Amino acid sequence: MFKTIKLSEITRREALKSGAAAAAMGVATPMMAGQAFAGAEEDRIVAAAKKAVPNGQDLTGIMWGLYSSGAKPVMDEFGDLTGISITKLQDISAFDIPQRAMAEALSKSPEFDFFHVDTNMIPSLASAGLLEPLDDYMAAADFKINAVGDFGKFLTYKGKTYGITTDGNVHVQFVRKDLFENPDERKAFADKHGRELTWPETWEEDLEIMKFFHRPDQDLWGSANLRDRGSSVAWWYMYLHSAGGFPFTDDMDPNIDNEIGEYAFQTYLDVKQVSHPEAAGWGTPQMIPRIINGQAYSCQYWDGVAALAENPKKSKTAGKWLFGPVPGSKKSGKLLKRSVSTPNVGILVNRHSPRKEAMAYMAMYLGTGANSARIVGDPVNTFHDPWHVDHFKPGSLAEKVYTPGGMDAIKKNLQIVTPPIFLTGLLEFETELKRNLSEMYAGDKTAKQAASDTSEAWGRAIRRIGKRRLKEELATYKSLFPSVDVPS
Amino acid sequence: MTADTTMNAEPAPRRGNSREATRAQGVKRFKWTVLTPLMALMIFILLPAFLLQGYFSFFSFSIFDAGDDPSFLSYFRASTWVGLDLWADAFSDDKFGYAIIRSLLFSTGVTTGCFLLGFGLALLMYRPFRGQGVYYIFFILPMLTVPIVIAYTGEMILYQNGPLNDIIGMVTGTRSEVQFLYNQQAALTTIGLLEIWNWTPFSFIIMMAGLAALPKEPQEAAQILGASRWRIFWEVQLPLLRPVILLALILRFLESMAEFPKTWGLLQGGPGSATETIPVYIFINAWQFFDLSYGAVLSYLVLFMMVAIVMSAIWLLRREKKSLDEMYQASPEES
Amino acid sequence: MAMTKSQRRTAYAAMRYFLLTIWLLIVAFPIFWMVSTSFKPDREWFAWPPVYISENATLQNYLAVWADVEGHSVDEQTGEIKTYAQSLQRPWVALGNSALISFIATTLSVLFGSVLAYGVSRYQILSEGRMFQLLMLRMVPPIVLVAPISIWYSALGLLDTVTGLVILYFLTTLPYAVWMSKSFIDEVPREMEQAAEILGASRWRTIWEVVLPLVRSGLVATFLFILILTWSEYLLALLLSKAQVVTLPVELSKYQGSTEGRVYGRQAALSVGITLPLIVVGLIIRKHLARGFSFGMVRR
Repeated sequence: MFKTIKLSEITRREALKSGAAAAAMGVATPMMAGQAFAGAEEDRIVAAAKKAVPNGQDLTGIMWGLYSSGAKPVMDEFGDLTGISITKLQDISAFDIPQRAMAEALSKSPEFDFFHVDTNMIPSLASAGLLEPLDDYMAAADFKINAVGDFGKFLTYKGKTYGITTDGNVHVQFVRKDLFENPDERKAFADKHGRELTWPETWEEDLEIMKFFHRPDQDLWGSANLRDRGSSVAWWYMYLHSAGGFPFTDDMDPNIDNEIGEYAFQTYLDVKQVSHPEAAGWGTPQMIPRIINGQAYSCQYWDGVAALAENPKKSKTAGKWLFGPVPGSKKSGKLLKRSVSTPNVGILVNRHSPRKEAMAYMAMYLGTGANSARIVGDPVNTFHDPWHVDHFKPGSLAEKVYTPGGMDAIKKNLQIVTPPIFLTGLLEFETELKRNLSEMYAGDKTAKQAASDTSEAWGRAIRRIGKRRLKEELATYKSLFPSVDVPS
Repeated sequence: MTADTTMNAEPAPRRGNSREATRAQGVKRFKWTVLTPLMALMIFILLPAFLLQGYFSFFSFSIFDAGDDPSFLSYFRASTWVGLDLWADAFSDDKFGYAIIRSLLFSTGVTTGCFLLGFGLALLMYRPFRGQGVYYIFFILPMLTVPIVIAYTGEMILYQNGPLNDIIGMVTGTRSEVQFLYNQQAALTTIGLLEIWNWTPFSFIIMMAGLAALPKEPQEAAQILGASRWRIFWEVQLPLLRPVILLALILRFLESMAEFPKTWGLLQGGPGSATETIPVYIFINAWQFFDLSYGAVLSYLVLFMMVAIVMSAIWLLRREKKSLDEMYQASPEES
Repeated sequence: MAMTKSQRRTAYAAMRYFLLTIWLLIVAFPIFWMVSTSFKPDREWFAWPPVYISENATLQNYLAVWADVEGHSVDEQTGEIKTYAQSLQRPWVALGNSALISFIATTLSVLFGSVLAYGVSRYQILSEGRMFQLLMLRMVPPIVLVAPISIWYSALGLLDTVTGLVILYFLTTLPYAVWMSKSFIDEVPREMEQAAEILGASRWRTIWEVVLPLVRSGLVATFLFILILTWSEYLLALLLSKAQVVTLPVELSKYQGSTEGRVYGRQAALSVGITLPLIVVGLIIRKHLARGFSFGMVRR
């Protein structure tokens, strides 16, 4: 048998073995620019892992293939260093993993060692007894999740850490620079609306501007926001949270069958005027091409798309984008901006697995500053988005891929990032919400009806999941919300 | 059936009763050798599941109370007595009601479609003609295609900028933009058409077997008497085919009540709730919300409904089979 | 002007060919589209107007799915990133699982079913009422019991095992096996068995060497029909398997995410691989098929 070994792999392995030579090589190879070869953090994890699992272990888990391609080199490297390797992956779509993980919790099976899943599932999965708290392992390796702002809290539940993120995922406002800054357009806008064309501060301004640039006859649509059943719920959260709303009352009753709830549904529906008629059937595979081929004026979208849209090899609109904080709302009496992070994907460790300790160290190794920089900085796979403090240092690998403007916007939006429903039973709450959003968007319901129907369905869900349990979780959920009104 | 009794009762002239006794014992041993494994599987696999389901329908199980104890008993510890509460919920659950109606409509439509097409094709095909073999091979192909493959291939063909709209456009001369999948009014019908495509061969093969086995004499007699083809079909062939037609209808109806791969694979119950059929609705409750107890109640209700449907189907089938048996007994012409 | 009898016959023949050909096209088109898409390069998957037969046919999809040849590539037109990481759960493993499970389950079901059918036909070991009740095993939708079964299986250690799926496939297909084979066995004259019995053959030998060979053709048809059901089963395989026993239909569903997954070419290449074995088996034994499927509701 003939085995091809990539040169880059050899250098990386060699590099990690010897300190000084490594530093030299790190400079020599552009791929390694982001790596800190002092590697103190990595060394501690490797040492702790070797001590805990001296003979190494073969691990298996559920992970979506497109995510694994970014993380695989780092995983392989950890395998070389410690003998703890991921030898088998159940490759299923990121949107199906929450359901599969819950099925594992039901059967309490030790088969999978980890789930690479939306960390918003932490309350549900931890309640179901599936997750291993990582704090002790983290202490053993003196490892900390060093995320921007309060983002690290998204991995905790009732005071314990249950996951290591690999993917920041926050919504960022995308605006077409060439159109926004075009003097003729600016003049036409000012003439029409009696005000200067400025960065949209509220959803209402955003809609007005999108309407202005909405030109279906030129194959240019005002909005590229998703409106499908799968992921469009993210936008609804931004509308609700920025209006000062919170989905539940302190007594854990639904809190959306009211003016603010209706506002969120209505704002969601209003964007239909500036969306492609087929948008309700489009997910990212249909929408992203529209964005990067210049058929959309603006959107709020996952930050990863910034890297794609600014990559001249892949995008017709490279260099034509402005990124910034998402719009907000004055509904609460003051301007409030709220972005959203979903799906924020991380590694969660199976408590039932006999190999959980080895898995915990593997997860930490993926979450160090240097290693996560390699994952999010992958120029081809833009599925992992920056989140670590180091990613935002000038000259980082992430900055090259995401552009300085993009990184600045990501950082700003991370300051105002909110979680989706961070409670046990997320799947049930969101399924009901998605059903109503999609029925409303299809024209079967008004915003008011959708708000009241969702509220009713949530009431049932709360009864089934248990009001007392959910009330206990409210504090954790609320603690994830940002304290600033608008990003600075 | 009569043959069996005569055979069993056949007296052995010399050894008399003892041989008959040995024989009866042998039959008994054979019977239990065959039935024991089957009954063991039912008792050890299906019965416990059935009882668990019953338990969960009265004791509300919450996956979030199950904790991390992997023992089997933890499932019982995580359940609390709620009596008939969940049953009451199910009876006032509109979505469940709609799911039942959707499933019944879906199955009725699919059954009718499969039968009419399958019977029509069988009528065109059952007499030998040139090329019969080639057509036959092609016509059974859809049945050999895996449903989940049909779902995904269906999407490739049916999406708005897909080939079907292109072909419709070419035929009609206008740009066709039918949303087969993402339109609430169309979605269930679209899944139904895929199901018809998939399973018409089943009805077709049954009806081919039925037509091929029709006795020739009554037709010939009718022809000699000068009856029109149409009358022969209605008054001679069709009555003889009744049992087999009934069978084709019943099996197809019951199988399509359980259709899941295409509905779930393509639309997961959407758009809106347009394709939330019974299996999808139970799946959502039991495998997305992991509310096993409510899923158990829904399952039991569906079970009762299906048993009622199957029982009436069986009653119909038995009646037809009996009259068939009687008819052949009256004029014994077994081949 | 009335048509003569031969004219009428020609007209009927022409109409028959016309109607049958229309249905033939309807039947063939999806299969054609699946095969055609499996050879299309990325940019033609969603092209408008649709590409019917690719001029740039490529084996890339097959290599990616079946030979694990992967790489980064970016669709020039849509900008989509096509990266297929090495997932170690390869379709070949799923193919092996599918083949193993469906062949074992189908063989068991047909063998056991035909012996049971023999017992019913000759000795009425099940009354007619029980025979009809047996149909319940098939006619109750599996979704109704799969949740408690998964818990019970988990306690028994049958979750994610070949045995676990084989048991359920066996039970759910048994009614068809019994009913179909009984209709064939009913047709076999008893004289042969009686002769064998007089010659001193045991009951089992009589079944194996006299009865079953006589209904071979029917059993082959039964086998294929049950193979279709077990090979394509989706729900039980999805919910009762994890890492070890992934079957092909479940493997295919991984290529489809609710929002991001539409990798048509790869799906098609995998679909062809799933469909082909059944079609080959079906074509090999097609002549046996014609007589099957009447469940004793017609008499020859």
